[in-house]
Amino acid sequence: MTRFISKKDLITWLEKLIQERILIAPTTKNGLLLFQPVSEVEDIVLDFQNTELSPKECFFSATETLFAVKREDGRTELVPATVDRDTVLFGLHPCDAMGMAINDKPFLAEPADTLYGQHRARTTLIGLPCSKPTTECFCTSMGGGPHDPTHLDVLLTEAEDGYIVQAVTGKGEEILPSSVVEREIVSPPPPSVEPVPAAGISEVMERVFEAPYWSRLADRCIHCNICAYVCPTCYCFDVRDYANGGRIERVRSWESCQSPGFTRIAGGYDPRSSKGARLRQRFYHKLRYFPQEFGALGCVGCGRCIRACPVNIDIREVISDVQKLGAKIGT
Amino acid sequence: MRQELGQQIGEKARELLSSGVVECVIGYERATDGVTARPLFVYGVEDVDRLIFDDTCIHNLTRYLLNRRDKNTAVVAKPCDSRAINLLLNEKQIEREKVFIIGVACQGVVETRWNQAGETLQARCQLCSQHTPVVYDFLVGEAPPEQPPPEAYADVLEMEARSAAEREAFWQEQFDRCIRCYACRQVCPGCYCSECFVEQLDPLWVGIRIAPAENQIWNTIRAFHLVGRCIGCNECERVCPLNIPLSLLNRKLEKEVWELFGFQAGMSAEAVPPFATFEKEEKLGIGE
Repeated sequence: MTRFISKKDLITWLEKLIQERILIAPTTKNGLLLFQPVSEVEDIVLDFQNTELSPKECFFSATETLFAVKREDGRTELVPATVDRDTVLFGLHPCDAMGMAINDKPFLAEPADTLYGQHRARTTLIGLPCSKPTTECFCTSMGGGPHDPTHLDVLLTEAEDGYIVQAVTGKGEEILPSSVVEREIVSPPPPSVEPVPAAGISEVMERVFEAPYWSRLADRCIHCNICAYVCPTCYCFDVRDYANGGRIERVRSWESCQSPGFTRIAGGYDPRSSKGARLRQRFYHKLRYFPQEFGALGCVGCGRCIRACPVNIDIREVISDVQKLGAKIGT
Repeated sequence: MRQELGQQIGEKARELLSSGVVECVIGYERATDGVTARPLFVYGVEDVDRLIFDDTCIHNLTRYLLNRRDKNTAVVAKPCDSRAINLLLNEKQIEREKVFIIGVACQGVVETRWNQAGETLQARCQLCSQHTPVVYDFLVGEAPPEQPPPEAYADVLEMEARSAAEREAFWQEQFDRCIRCYACRQVCPGCYCSECFVEQLDPLWVGIRIAPAENQIWNTIRAFHLVGRCIGCNECERVCPLNIPLSLLNRKLEKEVWELFGFQAGMSAEAVPPFATFEKEEKLGIGE
């Protein structure tokens, strides 16, 4: 037997969640499909391929205050930011959930980022399987899959006149409504996803670091931050203090290794001053350094960077080029 | 016809590379989606056959000349892109003798998105009356017959007719969603400051926050730094991942400069731009 919720009951459940918590789901605004807080269930887009930006923003905001320092009557008080409401992130695909699991590694490794940790603890992930992968999707080559429930709390798979309900975690179990029933129903098979030759890529990367390939690839790179900002697993940020009267705030905002000056240090020296070194860093971080440090590739194969890049820097092509290059260079 | 253009560019590239006139030819090749185009840097004759030209070749490649200031380079330039070469020559950013311009007489390009090429010409191409590059060393293609220029500023006029409060609300909504990825800056041939004002720490013009107030400063100053300099290639708007209508802002400023000074950026490398000079007759309403 499988657990099931009818479409009508799902709407009722979502309405209840909107009342009780913040509900973030894919909605369309200005022609863009983005994860945004919703107040009406009918605004939620259920049938989609990929949102323009990833839902990482729910946990690692484009800009947020980490803590404030208050000075009053000669006393100085440090006030850390707190997350005081529960959130449901609804409608994310398995690749984006995997992106969150990947970001957990650097953010939650000791010393843990407490603000990120609070966002994670107070957010429940209710996912939908990906029924129509795009031509630029390659999740199965990165260890995921269009129907993979692993990193979600609940997975809802459309079937007959409703959804098959799979509670993956205790948190997911707790949030389910009483309208979930048992039913004899078969889950549809996952769609196929075009593979990329990613096997052993991390080791091959080791051998091609010095190849002129990287500076040639960087010829056409314009070094904007689009790839990093649309990516579910890019997590670099900059930190700055803002003073406003007696109050000081420490703020962090997204940053990217592609920006000129990202690694510029005191005295003006920049160890990654060339275009090639900057672009190479993006791929080494995802395919070499991150696996070395955390044991997993730093890419989920969602294809967003491929779609959004203004000059067609395509990570699938890079992976395949690196394999060819590695085979030529040898061990 | 389109296929021929790619071949003609390829033949010229072969000649320029094998004779050593240039070290690199910057043109277009097919992107990995099999539909759109992407920039291609050709260093050797073995790659010239990859060069293409068709109505998906939207990128303004002249931006890349700034990365190759000291090297002899050939670049494929559409008429709009060619104006950027004049801009860069006028501003002493590149040397004419180091650049070989393969001009393309242009019938317009289409809107593209990843894996998609539109059927109709881009809005700016429908308004364009410059079908031959303003500067080139070698020309391929054929310009379409001249037609009377249509009203180029209909959307600007429509915006001008709105109240200040409406305009402010409109732009606030547009800028609110900016993520400050700086793709608009990075792709722009006119945005080449070695240190952009947004990254300057002393003085600190604008902080790092990706938030409405900072977004507004960034987008406004970006546009103002291009007054009398924007050549209308529309690359900024094309690359914006959040669809901010930057051309509306750019063309409003272009219209102002035209009405006040009768000046269009990049039409000649010698013409003195309005912000580089001052005429006694200039009044501009100051003190009136």
